[in-house]
Amino acid sequence: MLRFILQKLGMAIPTLLLISVMVFALIRLIPGDPALLMLGDMADPQSLADMRRNLGLDHSLVTQFLIWFKAVLSFDLGFSISTKQAVLPLILDRFSVSATIVLVSVFLATIIAVPVGVIAAWKQNSSLDLGLVTVATLLLSIPSFWLGLLLLNAFGIQLGWLPVVGYVSFAQAPWQAMSYMVLPVLTLTLVELGAITRMARASTIEVLRLEYIAHARAKGLSERAVLWKHALPNAFAPTWTLVGLILGNLLGGIAVLETVFTLPGIGRLMVDAIFARDYPVLQGCLLLITFIYVLVNLCVDLLYPLFDPRVKL
Amino acid sequence: MHRLLNRSLCVTLQALGLVALGAGFAQAESTLRVGLNADIRSTEPGVNRDENTDTVMLHIVEGLVAHREDASVGPLLAREVQLSDDGMTYTFKLREGVHFQNGATLTAADVKWTWERYLNPQTQWRCLAEFDGRGGAKITGIETPYPLTVVFHLDQPSGLFLASMARPDCGGSGILHPDSLAADGRWKAPIGTGPFSLTEWKPGQYVVLSRFKNYSLRDDKGPDGFTGKKQALVDSLRFMVIPDPSSAKAALMSNNIQLLPNVSASDAHELQAMPGVQVSVSPIMAICGLLFQTNDPLLKDVRIRQAIAHSLDYVQMVSALSNGLSEPNNSAIPQTSPFYSATAKQGYSYDPQEAQRLLKEAGYHGQPIKMIVNKRYQQMFDMGLLSQAMAQASGLNIQMETLEWGTQLERYQSGNYQMMAFSYSSRLDPATGFDSLMGDKSKEPRKVWDNPQAQAVLREAVRQSDTAKRQELFDQLHRMMIQDTPMVIIYNGTVAAALRDSVKGFHSWPVSSPRLWGVSLATQ
Repeated sequence: MLRFILQKLGMAIPTLLLISVMVFALIRLIPGDPALLMLGDMADPQSLADMRRNLGLDHSLVTQFLIWFKAVLSFDLGFSISTKQAVLPLILDRFSVSATIVLVSVFLATIIAVPVGVIAAWKQNSSLDLGLVTVATLLLSIPSFWLGLLLLNAFGIQLGWLPVVGYVSFAQAPWQAMSYMVLPVLTLTLVELGAITRMARASTIEVLRLEYIAHARAKGLSERAVLWKHALPNAFAPTWTLVGLILGNLLGGIAVLETVFTLPGIGRLMVDAIFARDYPVLQGCLLLITFIYVLVNLCVDLLYPLFDPRVKL
Repeated sequence: MHRLLNRSLCVTLQALGLVALGAGFAQAESTLRVGLNADIRSTEPGVNRDENTDTVMLHIVEGLVAHREDASVGPLLAREVQLSDDGMTYTFKLREGVHFQNGATLTAADVKWTWERYLNPQTQWRCLAEFDGRGGAKITGIETPYPLTVVFHLDQPSGLFLASMARPDCGGSGILHPDSLAADGRWKAPIGTGPFSLTEWKPGQYVVLSRFKNYSLRDDKGPDGFTGKKQALVDSLRFMVIPDPSSAKAALMSNNIQLLPNVSASDAHELQAMPGVQVSVSPIMAICGLLFQTNDPLLKDVRIRQAIAHSLDYVQMVSALSNGLSEPNNSAIPQTSPFYSATAKQGYSYDPQEAQRLLKEAGYHGQPIKMIVNKRYQQMFDMGLLSQAMAQASGLNIQMETLEWGTQLERYQSGNYQMMAFSYSSRLDPATGFDSLMGDKSKEPRKVWDNPQAQAVLREAVRQSDTAKRQELFDQLHRMMIQDTPMVIIYNGTVAAALRDSVKGFHSWPVSSPRLWGVSLATQ
């Protein structure tokens, strides 16, 4: 187990190194100059040159990379070009917002979708199955921003039950924080519910066709026991992989939802950084997201044997 | 069971909502919540800034002079401003008993300290070039002969000295208390003399300002632009960062915010029809139009440029672009400027026949003309789209190339384009407006209009302080520009603010930046 973890983490180092070079190079391939974007249409050549010098953009790309990379090795991601804030605390602060919403939503989606998927598989081709699959497909097809706006309109404007904009952290005021979290969490849960339900249903159907399930039924076990004790553990493994992928994707930022609900998450930070060509912030965000991806996949791999004993690490 | 679940859900959500309302919204009865489309860049006026930063900072700091409602310049911290006969010495007499937000009293020494800091290149003040000789007159010395008198010496006369001082993007050259800096000289927080002081900035979320109780009011009847009687009528201002226009609209409709200072023309139209919401519209001083690259093999022919100008139906186009809120203006002198004269009103006529005649004369036979547009600013995109359609009716083959704003800005700066739909931010003095368009293209490729004779006229307008003489010079420049057609200016744009009925005393104005002193909240 320890060897596996070290091996996986060891593999993450060249990945991060490669990503850091790619991120640095690709970002600079995007046309647009951060100094120019800051000065706008009033930029005269002297001010532009001064601004570039102040931002360190007058060095060659290789020098800029080496300066940045050396700092990264000591966990210093530099300072934002736009706001002059230190990048590491900034992205960690923003990441905590995205992570809270994503973790809660994916957890809720999983605990709802898996039983629903199993029941749909159990009642395959029944009207209940058809209904559940239709709802899942519908949820899968609805764009998250649209669903978000619909919920915002219903609960924020029409009913006036929940705040429409703003964010309060749990550390500041837990109850108030919850009121701000309800709509984004509900939106994300509904959106992810569709995919997980369909996966849980498909993998359960596959497992229910296997011989050992027929054997269990032949032994006289109740349907409940067959389903939850024998079918689910095996059917859950592929769903768990999907949950891991979803988690990795979402932790990289839910920019659209963060924008709709004005949440100060890492997705919105990244979008703002792209528009402002804020290289240090963008590089920091992408590096963190890559690391999170590696970490989430590692966790998924480590937990796999819990659900599927056939898997050995 | 279902009913019970439903009821539980309702009660839970309502409870959460009430918690939010109780703790988040009604922190104080007189908190005015204002939507900002992006976060501020810093709390350092005129240094690391953008329009939102200027908006917030101009509630905290004040300069010696400021723009009035009609965009002219009037005293703010100064009681009076005297200009020497040679036009090279400005004497500012300060108002007595003006306090900083830390309780200290404003003196000439504070003004000198602030200006010396601004003039230090290490401060990276945005407007340094306007005062160190690069962009006009140079400040050669600042003296404080009396505790409330400051004297600025210039190396040459300048008609733009006070206007540059008052510029919002310069942070209004706001006078700061030295305690705004930490002991090591780093920026801490602004301590100014404005009607509000900074309470909290939560990056990415909100900025809170509190009423400055010891604010020294001017003896004016009421607010006048950025000057006049700037009385804070609410206890605090909460600027909330809401980047998505739909969410901002939803927040206004649900009373989560009470003011949105800048909504699109179509949103303004929609919001106007909603109960409890009103819209305040004002023309602004931006310059929106089509830029031509006059070095381009095709567009160097003035007849083709003029043909494009004559192919556009300005009344129809501006009506569509602004939902009927704006009027066309072909002049670089904004309609709301005191210098907008009868001459400036003489623009291009919509004349497709004349356009076709000019094209024929120039030997144009449908060669494609690439026009750059962007989708970050919908108004620029729409302006390009409508121009393309109208020009096509006169036989012009304009092809649109949509780029990201950052890329378009780079192409503008390098002059690497044939044509582009573009908007210049508001220039409050016509001289600065013309200056942003005019220059030697070989030295500054971003300049649109390269005409040495016109540049000589502009230099004179910059030096000149006499209003009548400046008017003559601006009229002359306008006529020359219409003749040369280096760009087609279409209109100046509008700013539309949407506000709840409970907000009293707010109105939009040509400088665009919202002012929240003199604004109160009616209890609902």
